[in-house]
Amino acid sequence: MDLLITLGPHLLNGVALGLLFALVALGFMLIIGVMEVINLAHGSLFALGAYVAVALVTPEGGLRLAALATYFAFPLPARFVVALVVAPIVVGGVGMVLEVCLRRTYGRDPLYGLLLTFGAALVLEELIRLVWGPTERFLPVPAAITGGITLGGLVYSVYRFFASAFAVGMIVLLWLFLQRTRYGALIKAGAHDSEMVRALGVNLTRLRLLVFALGTALAAVAGIVMAPIWGVRPHVGVDAVVPAFVVIVLGGVGSFWGAVIAGLLVGMVVGITGAFATAWSLVSMYVLLILVVTVRGRGLLGKKSVLER
Amino acid sequence: MRIGALARGMMGWLSPAMLVAFALFGTLPLWIEAVGLYRYLGIEILIWCIFALGFNLLLGYTGLPSFGHGAYFGIGAYALGLTQFHLAASLWVGLLAATLAAAVMGGGVALFISHRRGIYFALMTIAFGQMFFFIASKWTSVTGGEDGLLDIRRLPAHVGFAAFDLTGNLAMSYFTFATFAVVTVLLWRLVHSPFGKVLRAIKQNETRMAYLGYRVFAYKWASFTLSCAVAGLAGGLFAMAQHGAYVQVMNLQWSGVVVLMTLVGGGLVSFWGPVVGTVLYFVARDLLGMYTESWLLWFGLMFMLVVMFKPEGVAGIWQAAAARAGARRRARAVALQPAGGK
Amino acid sequence: MRVALLEAHGLHKRFGDHVVLEDISLAFPAGRLSGIMGPNGAGKTTCFNVLTGGVRPDRGRVVFDGEDITGFPPHAVARRGLARSFQLMNLFDEYSALENVLLAAPAVRARSFDMLRDLRRDADAQDRAATVLGRVGLRGKERVPAGRLSYGDRRALEIGLAVAAEPRMLFLDEPTSGLGGEGTARLAELVQELRRVLTIVVIEHDMAFLFRLADRISVIHWGQVIAEGTPDALRADPWLARSGLGAAV
Repeated sequence: MDLLITLGPHLLNGVALGLLFALVALGFMLIIGVMEVINLAHGSLFALGAYVAVALVTPEGGLRLAALATYFAFPLPARFVVALVVAPIVVGGVGMVLEVCLRRTYGRDPLYGLLLTFGAALVLEELIRLVWGPTERFLPVPAAITGGITLGGLVYSVYRFFASAFAVGMIVLLWLFLQRTRYGALIKAGAHDSEMVRALGVNLTRLRLLVFALGTALAAVAGIVMAPIWGVRPHVGVDAVVPAFVVIVLGGVGSFWGAVIAGLLVGMVVGITGAFATAWSLVSMYVLLILVVTVRGRGLLGKKSVLER
Repeated sequence: MRIGALARGMMGWLSPAMLVAFALFGTLPLWIEAVGLYRYLGIEILIWCIFALGFNLLLGYTGLPSFGHGAYFGIGAYALGLTQFHLAASLWVGLLAATLAAAVMGGGVALFISHRRGIYFALMTIAFGQMFFFIASKWTSVTGGEDGLLDIRRLPAHVGFAAFDLTGNLAMSYFTFATFAVVTVLLWRLVHSPFGKVLRAIKQNETRMAYLGYRVFAYKWASFTLSCAVAGLAGGLFAMAQHGAYVQVMNLQWSGVVVLMTLVGGGLVSFWGPVVGTVLYFVARDLLGMYTESWLLWFGLMFMLVVMFKPEGVAGIWQAAAARAGARRRARAVALQPAGGK
Repeated sequence: MRVALLEAHGLHKRFGDHVVLEDISLAFPAGRLSGIMGPNGAGKTTCFNVLTGGVRPDRGRVVFDGEDITGFPPHAVARRGLARSFQLMNLFDEYSALENVLLAAPAVRARSFDMLRDLRRDADAQDRAATVLGRVGLRGKERVPAGRLSYGDRRALEIGLAVAAEPRMLFLDEPTSGLGGEGTARLAELVQELRRVLTIVVIEHDMAFLFRLADRISVIHWGQVIAEGTPDALRADPWLARSGLGAAV
């Protein structure tokens, strides 16, 4: 029991990490579901989100325009909120451009979509290096959500609570969007059958554009929330997107709650291994993946999906 | 008669394009400096050609996209270094170990993923590739972690009667070329064998192959394992060339680069695609690199354009041009025929 | 009654909450041509898939020549001598007609892990493949890639692949679909010839085609066998005639 209590802060870290992985994974899965494209640039967009946020929060973060001096006079919390709203929109816009490029690959081997987004990942990462340089950046956090609180003699990071709560909020919002709105219903339908979406007389072109924007914006949101925890480096995206792949395969492609559960599971496993053997914490999730996939080929809640063709 | 049979037998193992490639790469050390490049680049190109040719067995011939192949390249590099340090100071043992280690690891992974295809397959290769990458970067006592495995020697090549010193880049160039030639001949033979035919058939229509009684899993497993073995061999050579084994080649980006080389060159439509793509990549790196730090940006953009507009790559452009030229020739020949032939 | 080469006992299959097969039992006698008919969505194709290994039934058994093959993967079923053609054509489009047929030959499959030799030098296999192409009416088109053949030729090649597998039993899934009158007549001739040496099962929409060729026919509707017998007996079946299923005959 003592052990469990001392694990508390690690579990909190794991939950925060897992929920953010799930957020990245869900955005990624929306895109897979509707256009059968694995967006390898998802990680780069995650990183781009963090960098744009840095630019919007700190004066030396890339936007060196004199006209913005008044903007940077705003208090930090205000700028942080602006970043949380504006950066995902910017990244969603970049996602839309990517979707337009991808149109040429629709109807061909899904491999081409994969390759195109790999190229886009290279380009985005180099662009980030060009604009922000190769050195690590930090995203300052409003004082209200920094520091630690002591519970049962152990120190918990307030920011991790914030990150978890924020991620839960986003996941719930996404769920409501998918359940309650017409577009959400279409995305869910498209996740099974794009023929059907077409038969419903829906503008598939617009739907795809929207889904790409939404999916990449979710990556950006996760990137921003993760930034104060991980720091911001040009290839930070790989560290986020690869666990997201794992989460998707683990949870089962196409399953919303599968991804959330798998995200939490991965986060916990990483958190707990982190407590005992920090160096190996990221390897543990692959062991978990291999164990689960060996027993259940389609992941925890997976159904037969388009990706198996 | 016997010479005729021999010539025919040879032709099953060689091709005109292969002879051209051998002539070009075999003489590389003689002229590479004259065109403003350097000898080490030739070694690097040949090593990555081996890697990409083996990779294309999987991507181009079996239709399976692996985004984690850098891992097996890296495993080969570590295996060469580790056998050299702890087992036997022999070039052949080292290269054999590099090949086998990658084949064993690849074969193990293939057991988990060979019943999958398409995007699911790609995702699983990424997951396994990343797993190897993390293990290599954290298992410091064996791999040297982020610093890498340093001071790997280029041991002499003993061939019965003689031993060749490979410490210089000239000798290393020729040795790499010899390995390249052997691998190329074997892979060429392989893709034209019944086995190669089956792989291409699986790429075209996996379901039908199963209904014809082929155990598709076994062929996919074999294809993956073989391509990993070749990757391991290339990785072993790379460790020799670099005097060290480093974890960077195992990361996702390097795994992607081999996909990129293979595809830009046209590996989906031609045996030589990966070679063309590799040469293009390194020449672009060095030429663009002279003008801009962020050459990868431009290369990435070029790659995106290739995928969007000419996914068959350089080889595809070449084949389309050749087909047009052929059609024009035939049209001319028809026009020249006397009328009333029917 | 002759011994059944393939028997199905009490097959059940559901997808989600949709029951596709409900207690289907069938027996296909050796040396006969059996037909399966029924309206769209009756479960014919699922039934075919269960029999040839693509789908595992929830309950029931499939017995081929005395061996229980229930749930065997397709390749294992095929290796026991059961070949099938597909309704939606399933060819190797980049390969020539000859190469398609070559791949189907058991002799070629037996050597398919050979990584060194060349199939083009195997005169025996080439000859056999060319013979098969001749039988299905594709002589002279050996070198044409399957993707460039005409629709009718692709249908013929589809059957050629199944024949080249040298099976003991042949399943044809809607072989006439998309063929015109002339194509159907040619196909009927081919099937007449094949039935002399093979046990055949045909799923068909074209009732005239089926009633002309089949020794016995099973009618499947709502996932069940609702009638069975010789074409003559079925024609006389008043219930079937009233249900409208026999109307096309």
